[in-house]
Amino acid sequence: MNLVVNGKNTDISDSMTVTELLAKEDVKMPQMVSVELNGQILKRSEFETTRLKDDDKVEFLYYMGGGTCL
Amino acid sequence: MKADTLAIHGGFAGDSGSGASAVPICQTVSYAHNTAQALADAFAGRSPGYIYTRIANPTTTALESRLTELEDGIGCVATSSGMAAVASAVMALVKAGDEIIAAAGIFGGTVSLFENTLRRFGVVTNFVDAADTSNLQDALNEKTKLIFIETIGNPRMDVPDIPAIAELAHKAGIPLVVDNTVTTPVVFRPGKFGADIVVHSTSKFINGHGTAIGGAIIDAGNYNWREGPFDQIRKLSQKVGQLAFLWYLRNVIYRDLGGCPAPMNSFLMLQGLETLPPRMAKHCENAERLAQFLQSHPNVSWVNYPGLKTSEFHDRVIKLFTGRAGGLLTFGLGDKEKAFEFIDSLRLGKNLANLGDAKTLVLHPASTIFGEFDAHELGSMGVTPDMVRVSVGIEDFEDIKADFEQAIERAFKEKK
Repeated sequence: MNLVVNGKNTDISDSMTVTELLAKEDVKMPQMVSVELNGQILKRSEFETTRLKDDDKVEFLYYMGGGTCL
Repeated sequence: MKADTLAIHGGFAGDSGSGASAVPICQTVSYAHNTAQALADAFAGRSPGYIYTRIANPTTTALESRLTELEDGIGCVATSSGMAAVASAVMALVKAGDEIIAAAGIFGGTVSLFENTLRRFGVVTNFVDAADTSNLQDALNEKTKLIFIETIGNPRMDVPDIPAIAELAHKAGIPLVVDNTVTTPVVFRPGKFGADIVVHSTSKFINGHGTAIGGAIIDAGNYNWREGPFDQIRKLSQKVGQLAFLWYLRNVIYRDLGGCPAPMNSFLMLQGLETLPPRMAKHCENAERLAQFLQSHPNVSWVNYPGLKTSEFHDRVIKLFTGRAGGLLTFGLGDKEKAFEFIDSLRLGKNLANLGDAKTLVLHPASTIFGEFDAHELGSMGVTPDMVRVSVGIEDFEDIKADFEQAIERAFKEKK
């Protein structure tokens, strides 16, 4: 099935949870990442229970630093 | 996970490098990156990474993560004090010409920030009796950019109808900011009842031992930042979605004002959080028993504790706080002289300007934290000359009661 992860099409063989996707994508600083699923920020407690579906749009976001993208 | 577990394990699963089970204190100003490009990417926001402790620090990150989980929010920025939290959260939202509606019975420091400092920068605050939601409705106008309340007004001890005020704010398209210091997420999660931004003075119950000053701002995840009257945040939401408020907060207001916590203080807050649930249970229990004792005492003129069945706010305490009304109460002994005599006679209770410590603390608000306000202002904030504020500690209740009993007796003893 297809996911759109940070704007890029990503094929995954089976449905997976957000926690599993974070591991698969090897995201940087996973303790700091916020996950937006189809426009809504997930609570951290929902990472393990939220199972991704075909065509879901996932964004990995950070608000920890940097400051020039205003 | 439940709050009791999150308070201990939230935000930190152990240090993968050393195996340390307590959160390591990262006492550092800055962070080395392996290449010039890596640091440039971190600065540009292209890659996550620590840059400078004024913006983010790993020990503080653990505290922010734990508070996010306890408040069930979408993110947190920890600050150097509760006032830094209030100032930063509000200044991220308002500009000259805007207005704020605030509850009249809130902490004097917040009143001063709104009434004196922000007014100098062209922001006007309308203070209203928030116990009656219609007063907030009447004060709303097209310039209003946020509503600010406390879960239990300190020291007015009033409990606003938070769900009704959230509904009012959202109909007007503005956020509700709630100070949850005196209830803590153990007793009440404002976000579950519609609040958009939760602020804390973590120096109080969260620290719990009077050892460090701190604050926090949590985005509860209820407000749609893609809409609303905040141009700077709405624009940012096109890039970072619903994180826009937190992003703007950290990378603009917080960075510019410099209200970051010391890493050591973040560690002390994390330690405090671990025992917050059992401490809050004991604070609430002791406060209710002390309120009942004072209410039955013939020399006590009045007692204000929203957990008392006689309180006009008791129904809201049941509905919102599941019957627990926190560890703070106020009472009167008739005049200022008796209040002073009572305070001077305490043996266990400490006379100081703080609350939420494990120890029982007392204070005469009118001559201390509200000393800068005139009689008329004090009246509107619910502060009377005979008022004693008590932050009820977690000592054995019989010892607290005995201390108060002997001090009241001394306050009413005829002077020779």
